[in-house]
Amino acid sequence: MIAQSAWLLPALPAFAALAVLVAGPQLGTRGAWLAVLATLVPTVLSIWMLLQTIDRLNHALTSAPVIAAHRIATLGPLSVSASTRVDGLAALLCVVVTVVALCVQVYSTAYMRDDSRYSSYAAFVSLFTAAMLIVVLSGDLLWLLVGWEVMGICSYLLIGHHWEDKPNTDAAISAFIVTRFGDLGFTAGLAVFAIGAGSTSISTVLGATYSHTTLVVGSLLLLMGVVGKSAQFPLQTWLPEAMAGPTPVSALIHAATMVAAGVYVVDRLAPIALTGASSATLAVIASITMVFAALCALAQEDLKRVLAWSTVSQLAYMYAGLAMHSNAGIAHLVTHAAFKALLFLAAGCVAHAVGSTLMSKMGGLRRGMPLTFISMTVGLATLGGFPMLSGFVTKDAVLESAWSARETGVVATWAAWLVLVAGVVTAVITAAYCVRVWLRVFAGRAPKGVRPHDPPLAMSAPVLFLTIPSAFVGLLLTGHWFEVLLFGDPTTAVPLEGVSFTGVQGGVQVQLSWALVSSAAAAVGAGTLFLVWRAAPHRDPARILGRSQAFIRDGMRMGELYVRLFVRPLRDRFAPTVATIDRRVIDGGVVGTGRSAVGLGGLLRRTQTGNVQLYITVLLVGVLALAVGAVAL
Amino acid sequence: MILVLMLVVSLAGALGLGLLPGVRRAAAVAVAITISGVVLALACGAAATFDRTRAGEAQLGVDASWIPQLGVRFHIGVDGLSLPLVVLTALLTTLCCIHAIRYVPEPGNPATYLAVLLGLETALLATFMSLDLVLFFAAFESVLLPMYFLIAIWGGPARRAAATKFVLFTLLGSTLMLVAIFALRVHTGSSDIVTMAAAHGAGIPTGVQNALFLGFLAAFAIKAPLWPFHSWLPDAHSEAPTAGSVLLAGVLLKMGTYGLLRLAVPVLPHAAHTFAPLLGGLATVAIIYGAFCCLAQTDVKRLIAYSSVGHMGFILLGIATLTPLGISAALFGNVAHGVITSLLFFLAGSLKERDHTYSIAELGPGLLKRAPRLGAVLIFGLIATLGLPGLAGFWGEVLAIFASFRPANGLPLVAFRFFMGAALLGTLLAAGYALWLIQRVVTGRPREGAVATEDISRVEWAAWAPLIGLTLVLGLYPDLVLGVSRAAALAVLGAQQ
Amino acid sequence: MIHLAAPLLLAAGLFSCGIYGVLARRNAVLVLMSIELMLGAVNVNLLAFDSYFHDQLHGGQILALFVIAIAAAEVGVGLAIVLQLHRARGSIAIDLARGLADEDPPRGAQ
Repeated sequence: MIAQSAWLLPALPAFAALAVLVAGPQLGTRGAWLAVLATLVPTVLSIWMLLQTIDRLNHALTSAPVIAAHRIATLGPLSVSASTRVDGLAALLCVVVTVVALCVQVYSTAYMRDDSRYSSYAAFVSLFTAAMLIVVLSGDLLWLLVGWEVMGICSYLLIGHHWEDKPNTDAAISAFIVTRFGDLGFTAGLAVFAIGAGSTSISTVLGATYSHTTLVVGSLLLLMGVVGKSAQFPLQTWLPEAMAGPTPVSALIHAATMVAAGVYVVDRLAPIALTGASSATLAVIASITMVFAALCALAQEDLKRVLAWSTVSQLAYMYAGLAMHSNAGIAHLVTHAAFKALLFLAAGCVAHAVGSTLMSKMGGLRRGMPLTFISMTVGLATLGGFPMLSGFVTKDAVLESAWSARETGVVATWAAWLVLVAGVVTAVITAAYCVRVWLRVFAGRAPKGVRPHDPPLAMSAPVLFLTIPSAFVGLLLTGHWFEVLLFGDPTTAVPLEGVSFTGVQGGVQVQLSWALVSSAAAAVGAGTLFLVWRAAPHRDPARILGRSQAFIRDGMRMGELYVRLFVRPLRDRFAPTVATIDRRVIDGGVVGTGRSAVGLGGLLRRTQTGNVQLYITVLLVGVLALAVGAVAL
Repeated sequence: MILVLMLVVSLAGALGLGLLPGVRRAAAVAVAITISGVVLALACGAAATFDRTRAGEAQLGVDASWIPQLGVRFHIGVDGLSLPLVVLTALLTTLCCIHAIRYVPEPGNPATYLAVLLGLETALLATFMSLDLVLFFAAFESVLLPMYFLIAIWGGPARRAAATKFVLFTLLGSTLMLVAIFALRVHTGSSDIVTMAAAHGAGIPTGVQNALFLGFLAAFAIKAPLWPFHSWLPDAHSEAPTAGSVLLAGVLLKMGTYGLLRLAVPVLPHAAHTFAPLLGGLATVAIIYGAFCCLAQTDVKRLIAYSSVGHMGFILLGIATLTPLGISAALFGNVAHGVITSLLFFLAGSLKERDHTYSIAELGPGLLKRAPRLGAVLIFGLIATLGLPGLAGFWGEVLAIFASFRPANGLPLVAFRFFMGAALLGTLLAAGYALWLIQRVVTGRPREGAVATEDISRVEWAAWAPLIGLTLVLGLYPDLVLGVSRAAALAVLGAQQ
Repeated sequence: MIHLAAPLLLAAGLFSCGIYGVLARRNAVLVLMSIELMLGAVNVNLLAFDSYFHDQLHGGQILALFVIAIAAAEVGVGLAIVLQLHRARGSIAIDLARGLADEDPPRGAQ
């Protein structure tokens, strides 16, 4: 059953997108409802699929993925299939993706109602969902790449939704180009493994054996793509800029699609993506990103940008978990999807009421918009690591996995220590910026002219709904089912296809020692910030960063640095030079050949003076020369 | 017989329209659409009756005595190499004729214009069908004539110089090829391409093979065009009328890559192996170089022309790997580039019809506000040209990259890995120039005083819809073309397998 | 019987005078006269060799008659051309009649 119906998951939103794009203006608002419907059906389907998969694992004692493939390309040794490959991981991710996408679509019906381009927006969100589902379900590397890149272009189109203003299209281009830069490595990595295994089927590729060099080079190349897609250091610049898009799009990009795709793909391709070298690299990248992004989040003035940087930071937790070969990364992906979608959608509600996303325009919003206040408080508490809420549980699992990785040796000991230290430091900063946001948005008094009010039902319903998983899904994941789902029931000892290596393992456990450590870290961060705030409630508590605040707020100016280092020299200097060389040298050579031929002819024309006597003289000289020559020779 | 019928119908159409220059425009266009439509139907018929399981062999052929004194035969047929290009030619000609309902470039005279288009179609079809060296050469050369007239009569302000450059440049290559053809004829004693390809260079000394290969390469590299022989292309495109550009980019360039695969590689495999690194290197330069030239262009049409240089680079890189994967990628790339770039040239033509300029600075910004659908289709076309997966452009490029990861045995691995990296970088630059063009022309706020312009008309939809549809279909189901190219690719490499 | 060298020397002298006139004189009539001198030189040679070889058919003398006839015709046509030249241009200086000279190459050709 799963095999026959899984293709519907990406197909339905994709067809809806096509239909809305083609017939958009005629459909009007019905187009939006078509998009909602095309997300609702896959949501139901994917929940059913997840339950089926759990059931299968529990009873049928098999954990082999259900694969359905349709060949779309045959080339030499390779044959590419548009395939679906459903196992526990994919089924779980499908639920996450579709639920978040559904919330976003429903929310948008109210949020985007007055937008003149709502129909194309709804279509691109649908296409985005479809592309993510292709990535999640694909059983073929190249088909996965299709979904992977279509997501890139959807993010480009959605970030540039307000394309009248150049900064927005700049942000869109930046998002596409930076992620595409990562994808160069990703594509090369896929080539390494696909050619190495002689197949693009994921099952075959994961099961093949490679030389050590191939494995190391290939895995590092794959990481490059993942780092770009998930906005990890040093390719993190595009994500904060992507805030130019409408808020629900941010919820989609940050919670369930695009950035999450990188995490998912690392887990999906773990046997080839997580070798010793790449695990250590990933741990280093994650550690740097974690702290860096958390600091940037603390310095932001724009509410959405705080959330954007927090995504970067939380993604780093996921990668840290994966680098420790632990399942905790995926668990954090699931909880993060819930609370980050909640936070973005709630931030949209706030912006809806205030008319701006700048925190300096907010304050005192706890009155007047109680639904938003409650849900956002839950979201921030989860993000900040309030004990036993979802974010706390899964983040703890990451730290715990790093602690045990010190000894199991799946990754270098120093890398595990690095993750531990960075993780705790980040926990402190995260709690601090969460408290800062909460205080600046909800505490104090509302600025003049702002009348806080809860948004319409279509917007508040998804937000309220997401509050529940944000708070509790973490505890749910501590259950045995999660471990079973992802890695097969250890008691039945049926090795999962392709994961027969020392790979990603384990469930989510909350250990008292680590719970205490991270609770303490969160308390330190939150407490410090609260004290700073209480000293001067009207001033921004981020002043503890001192003078560097502006520098940190601009993401340490790395985006600007890239523009200066690469974009400007290449686009504004080098390209015109090449074009000049093309015109002067290459085309000049061609035209020059023609000109010199004409020029040579011109020399001969000189003799045609029209003076008969000259002709005769030359004739005579010629005759004499011939005669003399004939006699002499 | 169906192939002969195609040639006869299109030639008859060309002659008929050519002999009646005074016909009214509506009548001339109706006749031309009917004729090209019939040819397209025949081409589809040929594709339908084509036996895909034997795609490596020539089918539906005719082999009749032509010039017995020289042993030259009228031998035509299609296999997996040529069938997609035959269909593409018929399709694009039909679309150009449809486009003429709306627009015939200055100085008018629609009957003659359409006659030249149909004449071009005949010559192109003949090139892709011929299986005899002499016939191939004759057809290859006869393409020049209608194209010359198309540019020199219906072109832009600098049309004469551009047309002359195009013809002289191409003739230079053709002359060298003619010498190679004579020499080949002497060495093999036959002018039948199928026989020669089956022999795979047996009996031709290595030195001679190399010399002959260079002769062929000269012709095909100029046609494709391969860097640094590309400089006729931007000029020809910027002066050619829309239909000329569409056929030039869509089909004419493919004669170069097709020729390499039809003649040079299978007939002279040893030399192909010798020169593959050179070919791959130049192709890689073309990819990067074309992209940088695109970034610097101020003229939409020249930009698209330079993007063609880059795309043809991917196709040539695929050929240079000399693997079934690479050659399949090249065959697919041929078709994909034909479809996508034709769409872009149609779009550029429509922009010019509306705003009377090709200048990027004058066309933009804010086309999406002034003509939303036109802007949207332009975005689609540019996204397709940057090689987005799920659209046609992706497969040819990514598979050429995959192929260059592991080229044929004996080719320098390190060099090809380097080419692979550079080609990947080329895809990034392609994204850069495509998106930058979108930013400068399509999006943004229109200038003060800019007025809404005519959105896509029905005729334009009719001409573009097949291209948009094919871009999607080929992107999601590339086997439509790859299904026949695989066997053809194996046949091309035959002896090396 | 005089030595063969004498008429040959005479012919050479006449021919040289004729060459000089054709190449150096500007006046078209004088050029025509110089051509006559050269033809005369040829005639002298023809007759001298005719007599020297005792040609049975007297080919030399017959050829000389041909030359004289053709020279007469030629002078007729030549003088007519000179006359037309004078009418058209007001001058019969031969180096000014350059109607067949190549014009300046057209600019802009590649």
